[in-house]
Amino acid sequence: MSSGCPPQSPAVAKSEVAVEGECPLLAATFAYWDNILGPRVRHIWTPKGDQLMFLSDGEVTFLANHTLNGEILRSAECGAVDVKFFVLAEKGVIIVSLIFDGELKGDKNTCALSIILPQAELAFYLPLHTICVERLKHVIRKGRIWMQKYFCSASVHCFHFPRPQGYNIISVLSLEIVPIMELLASMKSHSVPEDINIKDTVLNDDDIGDSCHEDFLHKAISSHLQTCGCSIVVGSNPEKVNKIARTLCLFLTPEERKCSRLCKADSSFKYDTGLFVQGLLKDSTGSFVLPFRQVLYSPYPTTHIDVDINTVKQMPPCHEHMYNQRRYMRSELSALWKADSEEDIAPDTVIHTDETFTPDLNIFQDVMHKDTLVMSFIDEVFMLKPGLSLRSTYLAQFLLLLHRKALTLLKYIEDETQKGKKPFRSLRNLKTDLDLTVEGDLNIVMAFAEKLRAGLHSFVFGKPFYTSVHERDALMSF
Amino acid sequence: MIGSPDVVAFTKEDEYGQTTPDPWALPEEFSVPLHPLVDSNPWAKTSYAKFTKDFILISEFSEQVGPQPLLTIPDEPKVCGTFDLNYFSLRIMSVDYQASFVGHPPGSGYPRLSFVEDSRVVLGDSKEGAFAYVHHLTLYDLEARGFVRPFCMAYVSADERKIMLQFRELSLRFSQASECLKAGNRRAFAKELQRKLRDLEYTHSVLQREEGLQREAGPQCMYSAHAVEKANELANVEKSIYEHRDLLRQICSYHHRPRRDPHAVTCQKLDEGEDEGGKRRPSYTPQLIKAKSPKCFDKRLKTLAELCDNTFYEATVELLKETERSFRGDLCYLHTRRLDKALRRKQRMTNFLFEEDLGDDDEDEGGTLRPFCAVNHAVDNFTLLSPPPIVLGPEPLELDALEPPDPLDPASGTSHTQESELGLVESHLESSPSDQTLETQGSSEETKGSFSSDKSGTGLAVRQQNVACMKSDAPDPDPDSDLTPDPDHNIDLERESSSEEIETTAGEDEGDGTPVSLLEVVSELEASREDECDGLTNGACEMQSDLLVPLDTACCMAQEGFLYEASAPEAVPRPGQSSHLQPCQTPVVNQEPQALLHLQDDYTVGSPSSQSPAAGLELPVELLGDADSRTSVGDGFDCTMSASTGSDRAASPLGYGGVVTLRQRKKAGQGALRFVRQYPFAMQALWCLLSGRTLVVLGADEGMVRRLVAALALFVPGPGKCGEKVQAWLSCPFTLTDLQRWKLIGLQRVASPVGSSMLYSLSRYSRYISILDADQKTLRCPSYRGQLLAKIADHRTYIRRGSTFFLHLQSTLCHLAAKAFLFTFTHHLHLPVSSTEGPKVVEGRRLCFLQEQLGLGEEDSQILLYLSQLITQQYLQPATGGRASATCFSFNYTTSVLYKI
Repeated sequence: MSSGCPPQSPAVAKSEVAVEGECPLLAATFAYWDNILGPRVRHIWTPKGDQLMFLSDGEVTFLANHTLNGEILRSAECGAVDVKFFVLAEKGVIIVSLIFDGELKGDKNTCALSIILPQAELAFYLPLHTICVERLKHVIRKGRIWMQKYFCSASVHCFHFPRPQGYNIISVLSLEIVPIMELLASMKSHSVPEDINIKDTVLNDDDIGDSCHEDFLHKAISSHLQTCGCSIVVGSNPEKVNKIARTLCLFLTPEERKCSRLCKADSSFKYDTGLFVQGLLKDSTGSFVLPFRQVLYSPYPTTHIDVDINTVKQMPPCHEHMYNQRRYMRSELSALWKADSEEDIAPDTVIHTDETFTPDLNIFQDVMHKDTLVMSFIDEVFMLKPGLSLRSTYLAQFLLLLHRKALTLLKYIEDETQKGKKPFRSLRNLKTDLDLTVEGDLNIVMAFAEKLRAGLHSFVFGKPFYTSVHERDALMSF
Repeated sequence: MIGSPDVVAFTKEDEYGQTTPDPWALPEEFSVPLHPLVDSNPWAKTSYAKFTKDFILISEFSEQVGPQPLLTIPDEPKVCGTFDLNYFSLRIMSVDYQASFVGHPPGSGYPRLSFVEDSRVVLGDSKEGAFAYVHHLTLYDLEARGFVRPFCMAYVSADERKIMLQFRELSLRFSQASECLKAGNRRAFAKELQRKLRDLEYTHSVLQREEGLQREAGPQCMYSAHAVEKANELANVEKSIYEHRDLLRQICSYHHRPRRDPHAVTCQKLDEGEDEGGKRRPSYTPQLIKAKSPKCFDKRLKTLAELCDNTFYEATVELLKETERSFRGDLCYLHTRRLDKALRRKQRMTNFLFEEDLGDDDEDEGGTLRPFCAVNHAVDNFTLLSPPPIVLGPEPLELDALEPPDPLDPASGTSHTQESELGLVESHLESSPSDQTLETQGSSEETKGSFSSDKSGTGLAVRQQNVACMKSDAPDPDPDSDLTPDPDHNIDLERESSSEEIETTAGEDEGDGTPVSLLEVVSELEASREDECDGLTNGACEMQSDLLVPLDTACCMAQEGFLYEASAPEAVPRPGQSSHLQPCQTPVVNQEPQALLHLQDDYTVGSPSSQSPAAGLELPVELLGDADSRTSVGDGFDCTMSASTGSDRAASPLGYGGVVTLRQRKKAGQGALRFVRQYPFAMQALWCLLSGRTLVVLGADEGMVRRLVAALALFVPGPGKCGEKVQAWLSCPFTLTDLQRWKLIGLQRVASPVGSSMLYSLSRYSRYISILDADQKTLRCPSYRGQLLAKIADHRTYIRRGSTFFLHLQSTLCHLAAKAFLFTFTHHLHLPVSSTEGPKVVEGRRLCFLQEQLGLGEEDSQILLYLSQLITQQYLQPATGGRASATCFSFNYTTSVLYKI
């Protein structure tokens, strides 16, 4: 190479990920703002196999650099992860970028973790945006810790190369990038359609006990609604699993259905955090192992329905779920902070934990609260003749009632508390005024309202719950 | 079943807590807050934003001063508060995506215009609590560097989720606005090029003349320095002419470029009406161009309005104003409202009972849900939304006939369509703001008024102008559709109004300061449309009454032969048939409800069939009743208007012929809450209404009576699209026929001979009616001992606001409607199981269902029976809007009781 030539840019490291099925993701990138060279791409992940659209590495690099445009002005708080969403018609792509700060090469840099999809997948992607972003945000939290440790470690090692392999940010990020590729591929093939034909569900049965026991169906739907429409259906027979999954999806909005997945006929998908309804197939031994951490990281509590043995279990309500989730997250990050090497943080394994926190493994419990809303609906809907649109209409009326009750409840609390400025102290009045004296009914309507106004459970029930938790912790510490 | 190796780590025994801080503890900046939502307020998560409500910001990346804000919508300083628009403009403009080359590409003699697709970005400034949907676009300016002026339009909100959940809708709205701006800009740019070309040609001719003169004056073989300079100047001008013609050709070829954006909207066609053949335009006088142009910073850059032509600019601003209005309000109310509408569309069978009119816009379904469905952004969906009615330009014209080919002009072979689209014919050269039609100006002026007038002004003016259209890039577009008024425009208006309602719901109850519902505007629009056809609303009703479909007796379950196998097509009532039910029989149906939806869509005020199947009490005034019913709306209104003395008429929305809007109903919710709190016997009054017994509100003060009627009208099942079953104010005696038509009557108490005849009519029909004396605060009606209404008529309720009470009412009435639907369409209740079963057994089964399955007492059952009867009639007579119910006048002889406060 002649001395007159500029130095050749080092090739960007790239990982090809084998994904089963058609993965709509074109690439994922990790880029950072180099204080001397400007935006630089550190790593590219691409799914292996044929794709409808091909982007060269140069194009991916160009796009990844682009995600950092303007971020020199960034004035976010330390630790904040900001999301940018691009639809670049010129390039025919959409890019989702998560911008955060991290220590690289001894400097504080602005970094961007991005995923790139074809613009044609916009409709497919948008409902899944929140799921992807929340999962990527958490892996970024872990990545930031790793970057910080890398920097500290590198300082200790006097910046000599090779750097300690234990702190490879890319391997941490891969922990979520690869599952997201798999999630998108699985959703491409097995997501629940926006419009569900009632004929494919239990609600088309001639009589209530035809497909499943009346009490089981009632309990499943009731718990499903109490856990904000978030359920996993496990079983050995895929048709049975999917029939129940579709039935539960009838009670979701079209958007939520797009975030739900049926089970595969031959083998099972892995559990995916953030989906509303997912059907999961048991293995040959008749069991399905749920990853505790991922179930806990779901944005809402989950109902567990086993169609083989007709059991319905549910997680605690939203405020408890959020509290457990946060404590677990803090434990996990704390453990990561104390970990010595990458081996210590293999997927789904956390070595250390917060000594003051022992998670309750028994997260799925029996459905405690009976309701009248679902019970009467189930009783009544089967009185209508199947095969016509009568049941669909009645279902729409039922859902309309629930949505309206949720909005009324929200407005009631809004009025009582002056939009949250005052604590809510009149739960008993609310129950009487809005005809929600049955605990299960209140849970269902609260769950609907929680989806409309995140944090409502914590606002209404949080204080007593945290007080009791603190009291319990205090007692246990003696 | 549940197990994971990762939890093992958590099972280790706790140690006693450390009192000293752990040096290895995770710093807070790397952790997550333990209580993200507790102690915090779910309503206040956006409180740190420095602006009070969402707004639209238009910014420019100026080549002179950098990114700068140009305009906000709404244009009120208090909206933005202390929010730093300059900084935010810098932030949003710095992510602009300008990948395309503009300028002189290598190997090309002329500058190239590149038609850059718009880019869309959602970004935020978490520290400021501001998030934005940003739509980047590029406009052309002959005087700008590289001929381009980058702009962006941003929807700024403190709620990031709101933007992402409505991304598609925002994208569509802003794409339309962008296309409007760009269409105006192309036109203005082309005109500017034309002028420049004429200037250049004029300069060229002047220089040529000067050069000729010099050549003649000087020696033949010698060139002075001056002559050489002139020759160079001439060559430069010629080059410039070529360049400008090439630019003109390029801008004209805009529509032939390949589109890379599958979600783009485009202007398909332009309306020549605006230009009127250029008759009003003064001719352009070319000017001599000086050799040296002013320096970059000496020149004044064109404003956005100048860049786009005022007409287009104003239309865009209107479009953006509409956009701002339609996205106004809290996300949860917007979301629920749309879900609500989508669900109601699935139950048209019962909507007539207690829901406001959904409109006949079936195709709106996709549109209403779109913001919350990440709907396929594919172009075909775009056709569902109304294109903005803006004038974009003239029809394609034969350019060759108007502009002679020029040997120097490389663009002379350009498509006619392109040039005419840009209004480039000579006669059209001078486009100026004065070119806008008076209507356009008018509408612009009107928008400065109140919200209501603003909206109606916009809607009407815009609709009537039919000035432009945007269309999606859908394949096989119908060219003619561009020139027709968009029938869906009211859909948008309605949607906007619903968001307005939502905001109202979230905010004030009394609504004095809140803007008037846009639904009213919609109704005005509808009314005006109807005016064009057939007079006022009653005219329209009469017109629709022509569409009445006589009944098919086979539809009735009670008859022999009614059976399960009825298929949908067969189930549709055939013309020319009718049925009369036995008086004791409740008409029931066996058809799939959806089979008749197309008929129900026509549900409106109209006369019932003269051969109504509903057979209640056959009254001697039946014929008269029918005759009255045919023109009931008109009659009712005439009566109302003649009787009205005009005092406090605004208190009631009913009785003036308009469609009863959601906003009016919400406002009535406040009155209903007051009524429930004020009158301990409210439950009795509501029961009368819900069970079909006519309630007369008697009072001397028109305002008070109207208010009461408006509040109680919420409980009238199937009040009609325009509240036809409610007579808000009557000052003449009523007849038995009136009792058939009206289920709620506001009656004037007068001390005169007329008054005595009214009192006579009251006492004469007292067995059929209930009387609420607003002056004496008494109610005379049968007693009610049920439980069903305790939920909505508890005077000890802690519900504070009318809007909350209205929501509670809505859900309770929706529940009632669902039960009535169930009762109506549960087949086995209405049919004999065996041939030996008589009507009494069937009747017993029905009552048993009501009492045991639904747990209703006698009075509560009457409510369900009445609602079921209405549903049945509505179902069997969708074209009449179930008005046949009026002919089914029933009563019982239960003793009335006088209730007092």
